[in-house]
Amino acid sequence: MNFFKKLVLPVFVLGFTIGYAQDSTEVYKKRVLENTEVDFLSSYYSQDGANAAVSGGFGSEELTDATGTVVVSIPLNDDDILTIDAGISAYTSASSSNIDPFDGNKLADPFIASSGASSSDLWGNVTGVYSHSSDSRDDIWSAKASISSEYDYFSVGAGGSYTKLFNEKNTEVSVNLNVYLDTWKTIYPIELRAFANASSGYDAFIFNRNAIVGDQSYNPDFKELGSKGRNSYSLGFGFSQILSKKMQGSLALDFVQQKGLLSTPFQRVYFSDVPDSFYENFQLADDIERLPDSRFKVAVGGRLNYYINEIFVLRSYYRYYTDDWGIQSHTASLEIPIKIGQKFTLYPSYRYYMQTAADYFAPYESHLSTEEFYTSDYDISEYTANQYGFGVTYTDLLSNFKLWNLGLKTIDLKYNKYDRDSGLSASIVTGGFKFVIE
Amino acid sequence: MIKKVITMVILAASFTSCVAVKEYEKVSINDPDMALADKKSDRNTTTFHSYREAAVGANGGKTGGGCGCN
Repeated sequence: MNFFKKLVLPVFVLGFTIGYAQDSTEVYKKRVLENTEVDFLSSYYSQDGANAAVSGGFGSEELTDATGTVVVSIPLNDDDILTIDAGISAYTSASSSNIDPFDGNKLADPFIASSGASSSDLWGNVTGVYSHSSDSRDDIWSAKASISSEYDYFSVGAGGSYTKLFNEKNTEVSVNLNVYLDTWKTIYPIELRAFANASSGYDAFIFNRNAIVGDQSYNPDFKELGSKGRNSYSLGFGFSQILSKKMQGSLALDFVQQKGLLSTPFQRVYFSDVPDSFYENFQLADDIERLPDSRFKVAVGGRLNYYINEIFVLRSYYRYYTDDWGIQSHTASLEIPIKIGQKFTLYPSYRYYMQTAADYFAPYESHLSTEEFYTSDYDISEYTANQYGFGVTYTDLLSNFKLWNLGLKTIDLKYNKYDRDSGLSASIVTGGFKFVIE
Repeated sequence: MIKKVITMVILAASFTSCVAVKEYEKVSINDPDMALADKKSDRNTTTFHSYREAAVGANGGKTGGGCGCN
């Protein structure tokens, strides 16, 4: 009891006094987020090309994707924000439809979409982010968790970041860590399933061998993939600096380590040293792509923005990327926002991208069956891409337009045209509507 | 690669020697178009790049995982 009186009680009283003193000298601090914000984001993407990976680098790459996302940022108190991000994406793909091109409706052909189950899919994602800012607003912590799912893919993710501002908030450094634990549902090309490990092989082949054109003794040495998991770990560092009253820049450095199933199970490969077998107009697979179960990526990028005057801003970006699959890449982009009055801003932009090929890439019918790793996925081939974009933003400064209790802040619309020198052509229209709850 | 990283770090360190811009002088810096990140509405464009291109990271977008992309 004496011990309590002599030590614990004074400490308690002192602590109470300090606490009271702090409470009685409240320092004004601006809320990190004044009102709940709601963003509705949407996009429509379409592409076409002639190098579908599902049909071994030869076939239609026609694909469309429509995405809708809602992002709600809620200020929990002066310092904390909870952001819920939920999105859904629906796509149709001629390429993935040809996992099973023999639907009986049309002649099987790598350039004709099949009506099979893989011709369309839904991807859904929910991400929650909690962020806390210190009283001085010089320290920001955040934690996030996410799940995403599509028919053949499920992912759980978690991450966190810490940001420190100093030098009168002219300098900012940050570190972030993210982990994704993904699981594939392995779907193989239809003709290979009979030859999977547990199947009876040649005798289980579902097609009429007499209808095969070319090598009728089609009997691929197909082995199922061992792993169905893919883990990705990323560590990122950021640095940003205000360079003058009109210029600021940032640097980012990301390290990514991936382990597990990095091949896509339904992407075919045709070997040049194996006789060809065709069913209808579709070449039967010699194997699926085989890629290493590990990949290490490094990306370093920088942004430099310059406020020219009240009309023009210059936004520039550059990134160098390399990985241990032999790919190196350069990305550069330039955007010049042009303010037209107080309400409208135009966004002309240009983006240049180039990459070297992965060590394991070769075009259609170019791999040898003796190789350990192989793919004919043109997404990791050598190419150069140019993207031209144009966007417009409408800003409603006073949120005069109301939708129930949502006040409109901005509307963003943008169109981008993307062309690869290897033949793929794509376009995307994006829209964003930002509201505040008043 | 290491040389490039060292160069970047030296470049970054040299930035901090600049004169600090006061809060009341940040009118231009605080313009929404000066943000050192892509706009939210550009996110789906960045995601399509992560599917169609090998390079990811250093842009605030996906770095691998969470999708069937690279």
